[in-house]
Amino acid sequence: MRRNVAIISVGYNGRFVSKRPDISIVEMLEAAVRNALSKTKLKPHEIDAFVVGNMHTFEGVNMGHLWASEHIFALNKPVMRIATGGTTGMSVFHCAYYHVASGLYDVVCAIGWEKHDEGDAQIGLGGILLPEVFSLAHFGPDFSGRRGAGLGLMGGGGGSTGGASFQAASYLAKSGGGIEHIDMAAALMRANAAKNPYAHLQVPDCKPEDIAKTPIISWPLRYGHTCPTSCGACAVIIVAEEKVKKYAETEKVAWVKGVACGTSDVTVGNVHDGQITDPADQEMCKIVAMKAYKKAGIKNPRKEIQVAEVYDGFAHQVLLWPERLLLVDDGASPKLIEQGYYNIDGELPVNPSGGVTSTNAIGASALVRVAEAALQVMGIAEGGHQVPKKVKNALAHGWGGLFQFNTVTILGDTPVKK
Amino acid sequence: MKRRVAIVGYKLIKNTKASVWTRERIYYELSRALLEELEITRDKVDTFIFGSNDFADGRTISECYLIQRIGAHMKDESKVEQEALNACVYAWMRIQSGEYDTAMIGMVSLASSQFKPLLVQNHVLDPVYERPRGLINYYSAAAFQARAYMERFKNFTESHIARYAEKGYRNALKNQYSLQVIPPSLEKIENSEPIYLPIRELEVAPYADGGGVVLLASEEKAKKLTKKPVWIDGFASIEDTYWIGERDLVKLDGLREAGKRAYKMAGIKNPEKEISFAEIQTFFASEEPIIAEALGLFDEGSGAEVIEKGLSEINGKLPVNPSGGSFGGNPMGGTSLLGLINAVKQLRGEADDFQVKNPKRALVHAQDGVCAQQNTVMILSTGGEK
Amino acid sequence: MIHQTVEVVVPISFMYKNRVGRYLQHYLNGLKEKKILGSKCSGCGRVVVPPRSACGRCYGVMDELVELPQEGKLVNWTVCYVKMESGEFKRLESPYVIGMIQLEGCDALLSAKVLEVEPENVKIGMKVKAIWKEETTGDYTDLVGFVPL
Repeated sequence: MRRNVAIISVGYNGRFVSKRPDISIVEMLEAAVRNALSKTKLKPHEIDAFVVGNMHTFEGVNMGHLWASEHIFALNKPVMRIATGGTTGMSVFHCAYYHVASGLYDVVCAIGWEKHDEGDAQIGLGGILLPEVFSLAHFGPDFSGRRGAGLGLMGGGGGSTGGASFQAASYLAKSGGGIEHIDMAAALMRANAAKNPYAHLQVPDCKPEDIAKTPIISWPLRYGHTCPTSCGACAVIIVAEEKVKKYAETEKVAWVKGVACGTSDVTVGNVHDGQITDPADQEMCKIVAMKAYKKAGIKNPRKEIQVAEVYDGFAHQVLLWPERLLLVDDGASPKLIEQGYYNIDGELPVNPSGGVTSTNAIGASALVRVAEAALQVMGIAEGGHQVPKKVKNALAHGWGGLFQFNTVTILGDTPVKK
Repeated sequence: MKRRVAIVGYKLIKNTKASVWTRERIYYELSRALLEELEITRDKVDTFIFGSNDFADGRTISECYLIQRIGAHMKDESKVEQEALNACVYAWMRIQSGEYDTAMIGMVSLASSQFKPLLVQNHVLDPVYERPRGLINYYSAAAFQARAYMERFKNFTESHIARYAEKGYRNALKNQYSLQVIPPSLEKIENSEPIYLPIRELEVAPYADGGGVVLLASEEKAKKLTKKPVWIDGFASIEDTYWIGERDLVKLDGLREAGKRAYKMAGIKNPEKEISFAEIQTFFASEEPIIAEALGLFDEGSGAEVIEKGLSEINGKLPVNPSGGSFGGNPMGGTSLLGLINAVKQLRGEADDFQVKNPKRALVHAQDGVCAQQNTVMILSTGGEK
Repeated sequence: MIHQTVEVVVPISFMYKNRVGRYLQHYLNGLKEKKILGSKCSGCGRVVVPPRSACGRCYGVMDELVELPQEGKLVNWTVCYVKMESGEFKRLESPYVIGMIQLEGCDALLSAKVLEVEPENVKIGMKVKAIWKEETTGDYTDLVGFVPL
């Protein structure tokens, strides 16, 4: 029999910024956990377990959750650590969900974090590919044009923008959109972020023309389309159904109705099994979304989902994901964004928080999607980014790896009937 | 517990000093072999959990390229970045939630392809206090722990540490999947190069390349898949404080608590009598008596007596690490999965030369962090008890 | 069957700039002034070194900095024969003693080098005192170690 689980509080350590030279990693985590706890009736010792996640190559600390044992109040408690690339935050959330859904624990705190100012994000990301690139270079193909590591090799490996530009170009070709639609998406994200006190890149009233002024990194992606590297931590506290009344501060909680994750082939648009695989297809995203809708009892997502927080590492994904998550028709996004369909006050608000394009602390980003979706369901999003319509169901989506991980979480204002 | 969960199959490769197969190939071969043995296809595996560590694998998101190889493409997958036994715990939770019926756990760790395993291990320390000062690390902390034990129990001497190491190598020789190094003599161990006294070079578990996969299933499925399911009766995981200066390294409070909770979940009142054998994870020979006592398997301070009287030998009262433990090879981050597999082998009577007589219940232990800061304890059994 | 395998070296090398945080910054500032600082929990009164912000036991804030005594008692020790270089242990020419030192009023032991004593003569319980570099810079090496009283 299903055990229902609710998010009762969301905490941030503060606004996401590019550098926090004044605090250490553990102090940042402490701030997030204290913030999340302050919005509940929980005493710290009543948290049964913790799930922590980040991408450790970015800070050079292998087991950060061990160092933070006292700072996150995890002394003498079980702590599990998850890391799955870009989806780390949501994988952490799913693990915390299973901690409670399994019946083992009643109160679990999920923490996703990243402190990018302590390392170099592009090298860390290049680390996904570098061993392959070097191995191939050993056998002949010269990716850099000259020997040695450096920007040339980053370009060959793609870094992250290089790889994503394949996806963006393919998407534009399929949907009939143009680079101006990506500009619109990025402007929407930056403008939304200005209404979110915790977001990193806040540009009030950002216009597509402002974005179009930024240089192109790798067509069709501009500098203005890419996410920043942010420092910050997000903590989400989830509680089993029977304990919600005892521990939640108000009646406003977000019920976890369905979680699903899936992974497909690794692809950078190269030949695979004799076929050219296309990173814009994202078949797995459709499958994962359908699984999540089924678990959540959602028959018609277009009507039943009021807001979506998707993982838009690059602005074109604001257009891509709603289609692949079956919320709009394939290829419909360019027209819809022109009409303001995805605006905060539109038919289907997408990323009212500003999305990943405005705030990207990699280990936290996917968890922030869940956190923001929860805030929308609870009706307490601050700074003006709460959507005006009543939110019955919200969707949070995470994406990562080398184009292949997809995770989806459906939250709602009432639990699924057993 | 709503549904019982069992381990229905396993496959592992022999630990080597330098694996000829790549990580990708190992996962492929192991997963294929396990599915063939159980006569199922990968469709029947609902979810996959990796237990590996990006630092140890030398690449970011290390499971990226391994997904197709283990058979997880177009399916659910996640990765636990701790000792691989915790991947088993997560898989248990997924099955217990009712959303999945079967789960495969995979671990492959190649110490030989790491630039230097010591460097990887050192990165567990925090970068702003312990790492720059260079005084506390796995080795010095183990030395402090051994010294504290020797001060508290005066009959335990440096030569006893060597004897625990010798038992490890000797048992490992009987385990055809271990490194099977020629066991050094007691004299050679006692006189090996000191690292941090009283820890000497041959008292440190050797690094190795190793890998294994395990399939878990819910009760209904388990009975269809195998005639010899091994049941997970209970487990617990506890994290102690990071700061070495605030821990009692002999008492190991965190581990004690984990043991208590695991026993409670499994319904064990008297571990000394009810546990048939234990596979505990150690990096150093001196840790064995301390961990075993913190788990209540032997009396406090009995470290010298236990090894002198052979109470923890394969044919002893309560065998500890009959497989040799990590003295048969330490694939960093994955030793506990090998401990799990070896415990399953014992309970199914498949342990060949290192078989323990009539085992009923086993304890498997995993540690993370300096001096066992975080511990996971799991109780397995052949069935019968709830 | 191919037995020869190629070894490809992946030369990723990058530096990290890890932040010490507020409390360790106080500690390092204290070292510059030849002081050993700990922090005290406003909730349960626990005193720890190095100073940190959170008390894991009572969940209080350990924001009161306390100056710890410079003398203490040795409660644990080991002899270090190696140093780590390029990820390997290299033998030291002269091994040195590292100890865990109990400073009065502090609930955490401080780990430090113990100098001017031969390993054979180290005794648990012996009194030791801190010695400092002449010119301190606000670095961990300012506190050179402890010597027997």
